[in-house]
Amino acid sequence: MSDLPHGAQVLHEERSGDFSTKLMRINVGPVHPATHGVLRLVVDLDGETVMGVAPRIGYLHTGFEKTMENRTWQQVVTYTNRMDYAHALGHDLAYVLAAEKLLDARVPERAQRIRVLLTELNRIASHLLGLGTGLLDMGALTPFFYTMRERDKILDILEMVSGVRMNYGYFRVGGLSRDLPEGFEEKVQAFIDEFPARLEEYLAMFADNPIWVNRVRGAGVVTRDTALEVGLTGPSARASGVNYDVRKAAPYSGYEDYDFEVPMAEEGDAEQRFAVRAREMEQSLRIVQQALVRLEPGPIKDPDRRISLPERHELETSMEAVIFHFKLVTEGFHPPMGEVYVPTESARGELGYYLVSDGGSMPYRVKVRTPSLVNVQAIEPASIGGTFADMVVNIATMDPVMGDVDK
Amino acid sequence: MSAAERLLHDAVTMLEADLGGKQGERHGDVHVTLDKETVREAVRRLRAAGFELLADVMAIDWSAYPGHEGERFTVVYNLASIDPVTRIFLRVNVEEDEEVPSITPQWKAAGFMEREVYDLFGIPFAGHPDLRKLVTPDDLEGHPLRKDFPLGETPTLFNDGRFLDPATFRAGMLGSDTGRTGWVGGARKGVRSEQGREAAERELTEGSDA
Repeated sequence: MSDLPHGAQVLHEERSGDFSTKLMRINVGPVHPATHGVLRLVVDLDGETVMGVAPRIGYLHTGFEKTMENRTWQQVVTYTNRMDYAHALGHDLAYVLAAEKLLDARVPERAQRIRVLLTELNRIASHLLGLGTGLLDMGALTPFFYTMRERDKILDILEMVSGVRMNYGYFRVGGLSRDLPEGFEEKVQAFIDEFPARLEEYLAMFADNPIWVNRVRGAGVVTRDTALEVGLTGPSARASGVNYDVRKAAPYSGYEDYDFEVPMAEEGDAEQRFAVRAREMEQSLRIVQQALVRLEPGPIKDPDRRISLPERHELETSMEAVIFHFKLVTEGFHPPMGEVYVPTESARGELGYYLVSDGGSMPYRVKVRTPSLVNVQAIEPASIGGTFADMVVNIATMDPVMGDVDK
Repeated sequence: MSAAERLLHDAVTMLEADLGGKQGERHGDVHVTLDKETVREAVRRLRAAGFELLADVMAIDWSAYPGHEGERFTVVYNLASIDPVTRIFLRVNVEEDEEVPSITPQWKAAGFMEREVYDLFGIPFAGHPDLRKLVTPDDLEGHPLRKDFPLGETPTLFNDGRFLDPATFRAGMLGSDTGRTGWVGGARKGVRSEQGREAAERELTEGSDA
């Protein structure tokens, strides 16, 4: 038929009198502003009602896992943060924790606190991006500019620390690449002072706004059972009553020492998925505050010469340091044979690295359990029976990052 | 014994007594090796016992591992209990081309995970409702995460007949050859060939029957 969009097809048609009902299959994406990257969906539509959604992924598949098998353990950090570019430090942290468990490395207190601080800042940035673009998908243009402004302040801090705005690569197996720059504490403190009022302002723009409430309340409901059936984790699952946050469930990097809550909701609709993320930012800010107070001067990497590079000044006076430096740079370290899995909580859900070592200087196998890959499976149950416009809301509130999905 | 330890202990005892599992330990995590025939039953029972979250299904290719004996692949199932918090890994060892029973019919979460393993390792899952490639291009032959899949040095053939041949590419970079790619088709970037269009339409037609 001539009035069909390109690529669409009619699966079923019923006529009665002047009216006809069509079940249509249409293609959405992969390049579509509402798909947050290159997610492609094959959608069955009966009028405006969604009857079936099949995600097609792989448009961003880069073979990271294969590449990592051919890089030294330390070089892998370069790749980890390129997967979930919105919460890059979450990936870095998950990888270094797994590698450190294999090596049995002792990471100094200061390094752990800096890691937690920066990861939580990055989580806020990620949620701000998700919130802003999610609202953008619904036609609310203004919040996007505001959330991006705050996100930019976080990126400024991360740039100050690592030198880049996106793919930080700041964490190292055994510690950090370098210490914090001067003026870091003041900048973070300024952000902590400013952010709560800003967040309140943003939430006031939509939280009690009748237009917003009518749009998202009751849309795309995922029940607790459905969430567990499809393996949903992270803020989206917590909005459905799945009380699972790895930071609380299996604390790592000293999360057990921080005082924070895990925002929960029972409804499982789009409104709550947004709300849980918003409240999570407040909690992340609390962690940042506590970590900042506890920052004390000290070493930032494992003193073990077989893991960490020697200090630059040592190379001028110590032959031994030069040898260790040379060995580490050219060959890297050799973790003992074994397998390890460390789950962490990324901004999107359970993120874990399953590492297999054969005793060599490169990982034998790296398997990344990325939350987004599993979470896109929840788009279908959330969207079926709803309108097409609600499906867009569901994608936004599941907040998948396609780099995280395809790897 | 805490609730988590008891849950894990009971699960391991059940798997060993009823399903012939063999317990192992890897860096503090409990791994239970099973026969592939029993994996469905094991997953069903663990889920009923409280392991509510199927975190992952993955595979390891042992063919290049020093000193490895036995089957080539291991499929690892990663199950977590949320309350109390604990985790158990199930392992199934299989040879090449050997089928593993799919757990997708009983647990939808495994859908993408098993497809990913099928795509990257070529391990077929019997009974999977929609066993197709997940991430690699349709015209890519082979399973990239197998250890015998070459890294680079493989001519990459695109839908429209262009292909990138590493040897020619390098020659072009060194200046010993003018051609940078082997150019078979006449298509330019952005122009889809007949084959490419057909493949896209075929997928749309056969699409979302899952």
